[in-house]
Amino acid sequence: MNNDRISCKQNTHKTDLSLEIAGIAMKNPVMVASGTFGFGREYSEFIDINNLGAIVTKGLTFLPKEGNPPPRTYETPGGMLNSVGLENPGVENFIKKEMPYLNSLSIPVIVNIDGDTVNEYYKIAKRLDNVKNISALEINISCPNVKQGGMAFGQDPQNAYEVVKAVKEGTNLPIIVKLSPNVTKVEKIAEAAVSAGADAISLINTLLGMAIDIYEKKPVFYRTFAGLSGPAVKPVALRMVWQVYDAVDVPIIGMGGIFTWQDAIEFILAGASAVAVGTANFVEPQAPEKIVAGIEHYLKEQFEENIRLNDIIGLAHKANID
Amino acid sequence: MAKLRFFADIVMNREIAMDIFHMKLYCPMAAKLAIPGQFLHMRCSDTLSPLLRRPISIANADERDGTLDIIYRVVGEGTRLLSAKKTGESIDIMGPLGNGYPIDQKVNRIAIIGGGIGTCPLMFLAKKLATKNSKSGNLVKHSVFLGFKTAKQSFGIEFFQSLGYDVHISTDDGSLGFKGFPTDLIQDYIFDVIYACGPKPLLAIMQAYAVRHNIMSFVSLEERMACGIGACLGCAVKMKSDGYKKVCKDGPVFELSKVIF
Repeated sequence: MNNDRISCKQNTHKTDLSLEIAGIAMKNPVMVASGTFGFGREYSEFIDINNLGAIVTKGLTFLPKEGNPPPRTYETPGGMLNSVGLENPGVENFIKKEMPYLNSLSIPVIVNIDGDTVNEYYKIAKRLDNVKNISALEINISCPNVKQGGMAFGQDPQNAYEVVKAVKEGTNLPIIVKLSPNVTKVEKIAEAAVSAGADAISLINTLLGMAIDIYEKKPVFYRTFAGLSGPAVKPVALRMVWQVYDAVDVPIIGMGGIFTWQDAIEFILAGASAVAVGTANFVEPQAPEKIVAGIEHYLKEQFEENIRLNDIIGLAHKANID
Repeated sequence: MAKLRFFADIVMNREIAMDIFHMKLYCPMAAKLAIPGQFLHMRCSDTLSPLLRRPISIANADERDGTLDIIYRVVGEGTRLLSAKKTGESIDIMGPLGNGYPIDQKVNRIAIIGGGIGTCPLMFLAKKLATKNSKSGNLVKHSVFLGFKTAKQSFGIEFFQSLGYDVHISTDDGSLGFKGFPTDLIQDYIFDVIYACGPKPLLAIMQAYAVRHNIMSFVSLEERMACGIGACLGCAVKMKSDGYKKVCKDGPVFELSKVIF
């Protein structure tokens, strides 16, 4: 195994990376971002998935969705645009074909759900409510690449409130609400989600962007706009995690361009209880494992013995007051 | 479990035709696993620019000496950085990835049709087919049709000839062989199976020909990719039925008749 050097056990100086978010017990704070990790199986030939804090699946809709016509990806400086359009097998196929593998994992499984209507969010939450081995649902109210629903629910506090409320009615599972950065005041959406019962907030989804083919003289993407991710969006994501930390009391899962452990530490100091690795998975499948090792090393190096990860969440806010 | 991610040593990296480079890698595990039609997902830079890996077809693999060959065209920043790599450096690769060409057919007349850089996976395929033939002692008639923009960008011709193939060449400008496309050359022949790789217009013509003559055909497709392993759903190709398929994981090899160009 090539992961030996990032094993968590060799030092007497004890560092506790475990945490609980919305009732989900995780052994470390490093998750993967929905849509960048398929349903997990795809990465099993490249990393030991049980080394992650939790897995978040590709966004699911109630019925299967075909997705957008190609091209679906476009590389940009320090990032990429995508317009996949939520291609997914639908909830029934997911339960039949993907849950057996996910059941074999020892880490929490978080299922990302999406809908065109409030009722569709309700239906999918209800269907997943009694499926074994699902630890939580992440509600995607921020997908920029679909005609209806998606991001529209995440751009208005009242809409966000209604979706979260409907999902809460459909399930007793913990609810994480994934926010869009394509808003003026992200904290208002976060507050609405929490008042509707969100157990945690995750952010950010992709930033709306576009590209133009100068020889064809038309937009690269069929839907004109597409979602920007990767290191290019990190400063925006970090700022929004900071703002949401000031606004709500529930745990935050921070994401947006995290490639290294240093990036992850920035998010934690800004207020994230956990982080998710997204685009980096495409470039370096071992990024999440390396980030876990890096966080542990940082805690040992920077703090007293017996420091817990919990102790440093949002720490940079305190410095800001002084 | 063995993980399909390696740091391979560069044994050789040199220009073999205009903007076309041949890189030889030492990576015994990948060389052992590779089959024709598969690709390597290569990190071209240690920095975040360019960000994504580049999928490059495997042009040959030798299990005995533990090496893999790739042949690539310099088209942008990623491949330019690849071309600047020196012997002795190591390179971050994922693979071999994808499904590969099926070669179990018991057939007599095989056509291999390549356009430009699409010739690469067909070289590996041709070698495997030749090995299979010599083992079975079959006297089969295999033909290769290759098209290039111009003579200066042509490559691989001697490789196919050395394996005993009947090689037909065309160039867009007529500087080598027939002036036109390889699809012009094939029209006079009939085959039992066709293996193809190349630009989409060429593949669309091949598809019409194969459907007209009801010839079983396999094509290796190219598409922009992010993850390379079926997770991001970025490299979609539309099929005549069954919606979108992933070039990286369901392909890159598909039945030609099923693809919508």
